[in-house]
Amino acid sequence: MSPALMLKTSALCKSYQDCSVIKSLSFELKSGERTSIFAPSGAGKTTLIRILAGLEPATSGKLQMNDPAPVVLFQEPRLFPYMTVEENIKLPWRIHKTDWTIQTQLDYQEWLNVCELNAWKNHYPYQLSGGMRQKVAIIRGLLGSPSLALMDEPFQSIGQISKAAIIDHIKTRYPNLSILMATHSLEEIPLLTDSVYYFVSNQLENPLKLNAIDFQNLFSGIVYPANDFAESLKGTKECL
Amino acid sequence: MKTTRIFISALLTEAVGVLVILAVWGGVSSFYPPYIIPSPIETISGISGYLPADLSGHLMITLYRTLMGFLIAFIFGTSGGILAALVRADKPVNSLMVALQVVPGTILGVIFLLMFGIGSATPILLVAFLTLPTLAINTINGLAKRNTASENYLRSIHASKWQIVRFSILPALVPVLQSNLSLGISMAVKVVVLGEFIGSQDGLGYLLNHARLIFNMKEVFFYLLILMAFSLVFQAVQSLFFSISLKKFAYPEAV
Repeated sequence: MSPALMLKTSALCKSYQDCSVIKSLSFELKSGERTSIFAPSGAGKTTLIRILAGLEPATSGKLQMNDPAPVVLFQEPRLFPYMTVEENIKLPWRIHKTDWTIQTQLDYQEWLNVCELNAWKNHYPYQLSGGMRQKVAIIRGLLGSPSLALMDEPFQSIGQISKAAIIDHIKTRYPNLSILMATHSLEEIPLLTDSVYYFVSNQLENPLKLNAIDFQNLFSGIVYPANDFAESLKGTKECL
Repeated sequence: MKTTRIFISALLTEAVGVLVILAVWGGVSSFYPPYIIPSPIETISGISGYLPADLSGHLMITLYRTLMGFLIAFIFGTSGGILAALVRADKPVNSLMVALQVVPGTILGVIFLLMFGIGSATPILLVAFLTLPTLAINTINGLAKRNTASENYLRSIHASKWQIVRFSILPALVPVLQSNLSLGISMAVKVVVLGEFIGSQDGLGYLLNHARLIFNMKEVFFYLLILMAFSLVFQAVQSLFFSISLKKFAYPEAV
């Protein structure tokens, strides 16, 4: 695979018994590209993220990835309840037996400031709100400066202001980070990503790739381009 | 000092159930003469008159048999349950354990008596065999209901199998171990008496059987009190152990 590509799937399929979830899906993500996946609920976004993360096998098809260890930000924080916030964030370093450098400490401190978690670093997850737990999971995932982040609706429990601050920090701090984000939220798409794969049907197949801002405008009704493509999408608005 | 405080607190917590039983017993005894159901006070008063001189020896041997039988059941029941859950053989092992539970203790006791003769083997094996299935089933069910989200996270960051066991599965086992200890000890105390009824000439069960045969109900109820005290102290010790060493794993909610 070309080094300019971070991720490429060819005719990827996933089915459970008789139910086909992902149907011959082909798409690619360039290095440094930030793209969203926008599809109706139950279309298989989480399944796709799990397959890309290596947590689930595809039924058939081809998956190529330039990063053997992408970071996954799940819908739920998946923190360890018996570890403090700081211990949870440091867990990947314990797992990989890598040094917690001065630079990592500085980045960590910066993240705590952005997420307003300074006062909570010695608390346990059950002492935090849902949004705070999710922020901890985001810090844990991104602090190690990964090259690819697979995100599955990672901001859904975080408030608007915090979300904007976190997204701004990600864009500033990790300009070369490749992102594939599954989301339900229209506003998140142009905030974090530049383009979007839009899936019309209830299965992940034949995505339409759009510019993130155009996509948001199209669906929020601010600008409704009177071209053939927009016309073809009119009938799909109820899936939102 | 802190340990003593935790122990007393655990003892008081566990004592609530015993106090309720004592209150009910006291209430019921007021409807019957003392030779049928003596009250708790009547049971304790004048106790030295009808107890055997070597009571402490009998108590120690019952304690030894209870702990030995429980230990065997705990080790094999818990490790068997973990193994069954990990190799995904939980359903067949579960059904085997349920089938084992159906075997009546008296029949098993007689078999052990015929095999090993009178002594400690029968009560110890009876405790082990009758307690083990419950602990294995509890372990299998406890592990089946564990939150696997953290395991998936660890897989996503390429943790080794041992790291997944260490950071996710072992902590999930803590509540299972705690309930196995609590459940197993209560069962072991009950079963050891049955074992000593059937296959030994010493221990609390033997004394209880002897007192029952001559209808000395004060003595019978006194031994019941001792059994309750046994159970109470065991529960307090296990609460103390978990409070001191494994408290951080007893988190209020899974995330």
